[in-house]
Order: sequence, then structure tokens, then C-alpha cells
Amino acid sequence: MSSRMRTALFLISALGLAAIFGLGFRNLPPVGDYRGPYGNVVSQVAVYERHATDVVNAINYDYRACDTLGEEFILFASVLGVLLIFRPSPAKDEAKGKKKGEKRPPQVEDELPISDTIRVGMMAMAGLMIVFGVYIAVHGQLTPGGGFQGGVILASVPLVVYLSGNVKAFDKIVSTPLIKLAEFCGAAGYAIIGTSALFFGAHFLTNIVPLGTTGDPFSSGTIAVISVAVGLEVTGGFVLLMEVYLREVIDERLENES
Amino acid sequence: MIFAHVPYFVAGWIFLWGLYGIVTSKNLVHQVICLTVVQTSTYILLLAIGFKTGGTAPVFADIPVGTVVVDPLVQALMLTDVVVEATVMALLLSMVVKANELAGTIDPEELKIMQG
Amino acid sequence: MTITALIPLPVAIPLIAAAFIALTGSWLGRRVSDSVAIASAGTNLVLTLLILRGTWSHTYVYWFGNWWPRSNNVVLGICFSVDAIGAALAVLVSLLTTAALIFSWRIFEDTENHFQPLMLIFMAAMCGFSFTGDLFNLFVFFELMSVSAFALCGLKTLEPAPLQGAFNFAVVNTIGAFMILMGISLLYARTGALNFAQVGHSLGSQSDALVLVAFLLICVGYLAKSAIVPFHFWLADAHAVAPTPVCVLFSGIMIELGIYAVARIYWTIFQGPLAAHASEMRNILLVMATITAVLGGFMCYAEHHLKRLLAFSTISHAGLMLAGVGILTSKALAGFVIYVFSHGLIKGGLFLCAGIVLHRLHKIGEHHLHGRGRGMWFTAALFIIGALGLATCGPFGTLLGESMISDGAKQVHQGWFAYIFMFVETLTAAAVLRATFRIFFGWGKPAPTDKSSRIDEGPETKPEGVTPVLMFVPAAALILLGICITGVPQLRSAGRANAELFMDQPRYASSVLNNVQLAAPEEKKPESLTPSIIRCLATGLLALLLALATVFRNRLGTALKFTRSLELGNSLVRKVHSGHPGDYVAWLAFGTALLGGMFFWFLR
Repeated sequence: MSSRMRTALFLISALGLAAIFGLGFRNLPPVGDYRGPYGNVVSQVAVYERHATDVVNAINYDYRACDTLGEEFILFASVLGVLLIFRPSPAKDEAKGKKKGEKRPPQVEDELPISDTIRVGMMAMAGLMIVFGVYIAVHGQLTPGGGFQGGVILASVPLVVYLSGNVKAFDKIVSTPLIKLAEFCGAAGYAIIGTSALFFGAHFLTNIVPLGTTGDPFSSGTIAVISVAVGLEVTGGFVLLMEVYLREVIDERLENES
Repeated sequence: MIFAHVPYFVAGWIFLWGLYGIVTSKNLVHQVICLTVVQTSTYILLLAIGFKTGGTAPVFADIPVGTVVVDPLVQALMLTDVVVEATVMALLLSMVVKANELAGTIDPEELKIMQG
Repeated sequence: MTITALIPLPVAIPLIAAAFIALTGSWLGRRVSDSVAIASAGTNLVLTLLILRGTWSHTYVYWFGNWWPRSNNVVLGICFSVDAIGAALAVLVSLLTTAALIFSWRIFEDTENHFQPLMLIFMAAMCGFSFTGDLFNLFVFFELMSVSAFALCGLKTLEPAPLQGAFNFAVVNTIGAFMILMGISLLYARTGALNFAQVGHSLGSQSDALVLVAFLLICVGYLAKSAIVPFHFWLADAHAVAPTPVCVLFSGIMIELGIYAVARIYWTIFQGPLAAHASEMRNILLVMATITAVLGGFMCYAEHHLKRLLAFSTISHAGLMLAGVGILTSKALAGFVIYVFSHGLIKGGLFLCAGIVLHRLHKIGEHHLHGRGRGMWFTAALFIIGALGLATCGPFGTLLGESMISDGAKQVHQGWFAYIFMFVETLTAAAVLRATFRIFFGWGKPAPTDKSSRIDEGPETKPEGVTPVLMFVPAAALILLGICITGVPQLRSAGRANAELFMDQPRYASSVLNNVQLAAPEEKKPESLTPSIIRCLATGLLALLLALATVFRNRLGTALKFTRSLELGNSLVRKVHSGHPGDYVAWLAFGTALLGGMFFWFLR
């Protein structure tokens, strides 16, 4: 189909869809008038039943933990997929080998030196971010935060190191087997925690660890444990993605540096 | 009256704009970004549905249980989705990068190998 | 160990195994990873068979985290509510995955160890999809299924074509997923719940624009996965480039699960609100089904790339399956389930045979393969048996399915659908027979070349003179099982009884919300198979004649010119299947708007 026909077809359909959305959304309760039972009930009971003050994470890692298990594995599958698609192929290595002899033409970023402010500032930020990320990941059951958010913050740390110009350090961080270990253990860990509940005679993903006192860092049972597992997995996943995407660039820059 | 439904219509509007972007795009990377735009519209719809006027965040660390809070469920659904869809988009982008490496182009018109 | 304790395991065990293989695969080596994967799939098969046997007389409701429903029918947790139909689908998933993993023992030398974990995650997601009783959980497993499918589809990275096929697949399915999420949000806004039973109970029979739009969005999302016209464009692309074991899973069960989801959601949630317009709903669904079936059939005959040919035949059979659900009676629904099961087995077997052809002959286009398959008798026999299975001509499970769906259609005065069945099955079976005659017997002149058969696949395996046993056994086993399923005692009456249970919304709600144990369904006497057998023999004969006429058309004279135009297909229709993702999305939007228009016109 030519691009004109395609656009025309879409515009006609969009008019129809807009009408459909209009008719349908008109019957939604007005914004601000939330009536449904789920939110009201869970806000009342979550603190007492699970000794967790952050109800959102109580839902994520306890009431609806099965959903989060699935979502975590979607992340895992996507990372595996990227690794699969970017896997080294013999044809590509051959082409690379030929290129090794040639020198890459000088690029703009090679010429501009990175200022000391950025370099020092970024390294300082990296340290701060690690602490902050761990804090967010570990306190999921008490304050807004949890594994997903903390994991993303932690995963930005190598990126900050890269931006400070220290490619060697970046390469060392992202190539350690610890990253892969973190990712796979985080993923398997969630499922194993769920399965361990079966051995105690309860259903899958029941909260079997003692609940502790509300407000304590080590409260709410498996919510905290699952949150940490998810944090590990998200960190590992995003760092692996970064490594795979930047591999060629890192190799070239390391070569040019040496 | 109808103003109370504006966030819902905004969600629908963004949805259609995202689809328009995908349909008229000449660049596969652009299409993936438009897909993220479509995804955002679903979040707006979810969050607008869960909002309660006068409600605060559903975290009872410093407020007593029983205060009016917004719906925590839609936030729970959304927050895992955001992180996860980022990796799904990374998967799509990896396909685009690899296709560019092999075929030298990311224009869907030129890549139309699947015809018929 | 009670059956209840086994229910989460078909989802949990493959996930753990997948993480294990991904972590340790590079140290333990290829063979260990393969063995662990096959062991995990085999364990799933055993578990799901046990669960199926349990659900034959009893429905299980499993609450994750021990979060039982509260008073006032408020549900906070997630449940798996497993009945015989869900369990049967899970058995099919595990069976096909085991066969695919055994087949892939010999292929993909360079995927490190990422292929097996993705297959296991795919299997776990599909099992969870068949079991779940919660709207958002269904969506999460749908996404998990889709993401592993995208990754598996784009596996062959030596050519750009697989990546574009996977990309088209991903874009269309992701938009479908977003539509489903919007539909779920609308239902949540109205009812404040995500559990099927609770939402159905809260909706009662109120039907307004909101309910219609929610149903539209959810339907379109799942039907886009099921490749119903006009949401079907991605399927042929994906099948043409995905590796063979992955195609087995796509055509065998992934497509069918979309239709299952629509059925489940309709009967637990929307049956009440839409009850007043059931016959209009039936007509709309039947029209969609017919268009899909007929278009798929014509495109199937016009293809000469073996896998694309089989992909279009899947599209047309998906249309037939949608009719099984769309007729909205228990008999047709039971026919749907039996048809899904047997079609999955036979189509899976045919794809594995196509994989064997690719392995031995290194090409997949009918034109290039002309006559080169001489001597591969066993594969040729499997192809012919598979084609007869598609034509329901013989003791295949598809015969039982077809008879029940056609009977169901006759019951609601839509008896003409039986002829659509015949027509579609003739076309698809004839296409496979034609390919067999040309490739394995070398009859007639070579097939006309077309653009698609030039997407010749790179070989998946190292060249070898003999087909390894590990490739033959799964292919033959699947096709044989497609025959053996007719031997299951009282399959049709049990199927009918379970379909009645599936459609009974008040009983479903009470079993989930109040833990009321449902009585074992009473079995009804099945109707005679004779009219079906006559139809099916006629179909088989017609398919054979059409295939022979096409192959030998040069000798038989110009009167049979129509076979040539049938084979070349309509050039306009072919142009529409362009490979451009923007086109597919435009058609998706058009289909949604059209379907929405029909809903608002007829169902208000």
C-alpha cells in the first residue's frame, strides 16, 4: 500500500476509534470519584495483615505476587532475547577481524577532553547513587520504592561511570560474572521463594517469614525478601542490556586508548 | 461535568497520536518510540481511574490508617509495567539495530522483504 | 499429593529451570542444557496430565498466597481456576513444547544457551494463561508469552528477514496488548475488581457503552494474537522466519489461546450484559470467522513457501475455531476444544516435517524443491497423513471437532457453515497435497515462483544425508496422537459436559467466590457422526482432485486454467500483505473501528 493510502485508511479508522473512545469513556466515573471496593478494602487491611506501610508494594509482592512474578520474567525474557539477538556470529567476527587493521577515523568525542568537574562529580555521584539505590530497594515495604525502582537506580551507576569517561572501569564493572549471577539469581530467587511456601503446606507465594513490627526495616516477611530479589534482577538485567548495546563502542574506545 | 472526564479523553488522544506515528513513520526506531507513546496513554488512563479527590499517597508510614488515599492497585499495576516495558522496547530496538547491521537501512519501505 | 498442590507447578518449575539453564548453561554445556529443558517440559507434561485427569470430575480453584475471597465477594488475591478445558490446553502446550525441544536437539549450534530458557518461559506462560482466573494475570501471562515469542522469532540473525518478521510481529501484538490493558482498566473502573468471577458478578447485566468498548478492546487485543482478519498480517511473516520448533508452538497453541481467552472472558464476564443480543453477537463473530477462514484458505493455496503455506492454513483454521466459539452453544464450544487439540497436534507434526525437509534439502520453496524429495518416503507419508488430517478425512480428532461445530451451527440455523468448513479444508489440504506431490514425487512441472518463496531460509542445521531419529520421532508422534485422540472414550460427551460448565457463569462465580464445589457435569449422548463422515470423505476427495489438477494442469488442458489463477492468488490481496509494519497497524485500527461500529450498531 502506498503511504498515502495507508495514512488515509488510518485517518478514517482514527475518526471511528475517537468516536468509540468518546462514547465509552463518557460513562466512566468522573476523575476523582473512585468507587471500587479493591482500593478501599486493601488500604484498610494491608497494614494490619502484613505489617507493611507501603500498600502499593504490599499489593505487588504479596496480594498480587503472581503478577509480579510474571512481570519479572518478562524482563528476564527480554534480556535473554537481546542477548540472543546480539550473540556473536562467526560471519560478524570475520568482518571484525578484517577491520582490526584499519584505524577508525577520529571522532568528535575523542577530541573533546572530558572536564575534571564532570569526571570527579560523576564518580562522586556514583557512590551516592549506590547507597541511595540500595536504600530504596531495601525499604520497599515501608516507603515508596522497592525492587523495581531501586534496581533501576543501581543500574544507572555503571552508566554514570561511563559518562565520566572512565571506559576501563565501565568495562570492568559490566563484564563481571557477578552481574549475570545477580540477574539469574534474582529471577530464580523469586520463583524459589514462592515454591518454598509449598513446603510449609501453604499455597504458592504465601508470606511465611515472620512479619515483624510495622515500621521496622525487617518487617512484612517475604515482601522485603522478594523486593531485594527483584532489585537484583532488575539491576542485572539493565546492566547486561547496557553491556550488550555498548560492547562495540567499548571495544573500539579501549583499542584507541591503548 | 464533562471536564471531569478530560484525563480519559487525553489518554485516548495520545493513543491515537501514537498509532498515527507508527503508521506514518519512515524509521523503525521512530516506530518503537511511538510505541512507547501509546504505552503512556494506557498509564494515563489507569492512573486517572484510580485517583481520589483529596486523597494522598497510599503509604501509611506517617499517616494513620483510615486517611483518604488514592487507589494503590492501579499504581501497583503500573509501576511494574513501566520497568518491564522498557526492556521490551530494548528488545525491539535490538531487532532494529541488528536489521540495520545486516541490511544497511532502517526504513520500513526499503526493508519490505516480506511482501506477498 | 493432592491435585491442588500440583497446580502452580506447571508455571513455577519451568521458570526455575529456565533461570538455571541461563545461568549455568555455558559451563555445563549444550547437552546438559538440552536435557534439563526436555526434562522440565516432560515434567510439565506429566503434571498437566495429572491435573487434567483430576479436572475431569472436579474444578479446582487455587488461591495464591492463601488470599481467599473475603465477605461481600471482594477478592484481593489471584486465583487459578482450573477446569478440564484449561487443563487440556495446558497438556497440549506441554506436549508440543516437549516435541519441539526434542526436535531441536540437533539444531541451533550457536545460540549459546538462550534458546532453551526462552522455550521454557514460553511454555510456563502458556500454562499460566490456560489456568488463570484473573484479568490482569491473564494479561501478564499474555505479555510473557508474547515477549518470549518475539525473541524466539528473531532468533536467526544471519539475514535481515527474521528480524523484520519478528519486529512486525512485536509491533502488532504489543498494540494489541495495550488495547487489552485499556479494556481491563475500563472494567476495573466500573467494577473495582480484576477477578473474572467478581467482575462478572458485579457487572450483572448492565450493558452500556462502557461495557461494549471494554469488550471491543479486549476482543481485538486477543484476536490480534489469534490472527483473525484483519489482524492477521503478522502471522505469515513470523512463521516464514521463525525456526521450526518455534513455529510448532505458534501454530499449534499460541494462536488458539487468543480465541480461548475471548471465550473465557465472554462467558465469565460479558455473558450477562450481552445476553439480550446473543444472536447478533453470534452473527458478528461468524462473519469474522468466515472471512478469516476463506481469505486464509485462498492465500494458503497461493503460497509456495512451505512454512508460509502452513501459516496461512493456520489462519484459516483459526477462523474455523473462532466460529466454534462464536456459535455460542455448548456443542460448538466442545467442538472448538477438540478441534484445537487435534489441529495443534497435526499442524505441529506438519511443521516438524517441514523442518525435516529444510534439514535434508536446505530449501523451503516449492519451486526450488521440485522433485528433490524423492526417496524421503517416510516424510512424504507423514505429509499426506497430515494433509488428510487437515481435511478431516479419516479417523482424526479434527473430524470430531468439525462434526460438533457444524452440528452446533445447524442448531442455531446457520447450517451453511458446514460448507465453509468443507471449502476451507479442501483448499488447505489440497495445498499441502500439491506441495507433497511436487516435492516428494516430482509430478508435473515446477511451481510458479513468487516473491515470498524467494525468502529462502538459511539451513538450520549442518548438512547431513540422513534425517536423524530425534527429528522423525516427534513429527510422527504428534501426527499419530492426532489420530489416537479419537480413541479417547466418550471424548465428545465429556467435552460437551465440560463446555456446559464453562458457559455457566453463576456456577463459575459461586465456585470461585464461595468455594461451592460444582457437581460433576452430566454427560450427554453424542450425535451421529455419519453426516460428518460423508462430508469429510467428500472433502478429502475434492482436495485430492484439486491437488492433482493443479499439479498436472499442463497435461489436462486449458479447462483447468482456474487452478493456475488459484495458485497465483489475487495480486491486490498479495500486495496488501506488504511486510510494512505501518500497514499492519493501519489495518489493526481499521478492524477495531469497524468491529466497534458493528458492536455499537447491533449490540446496543
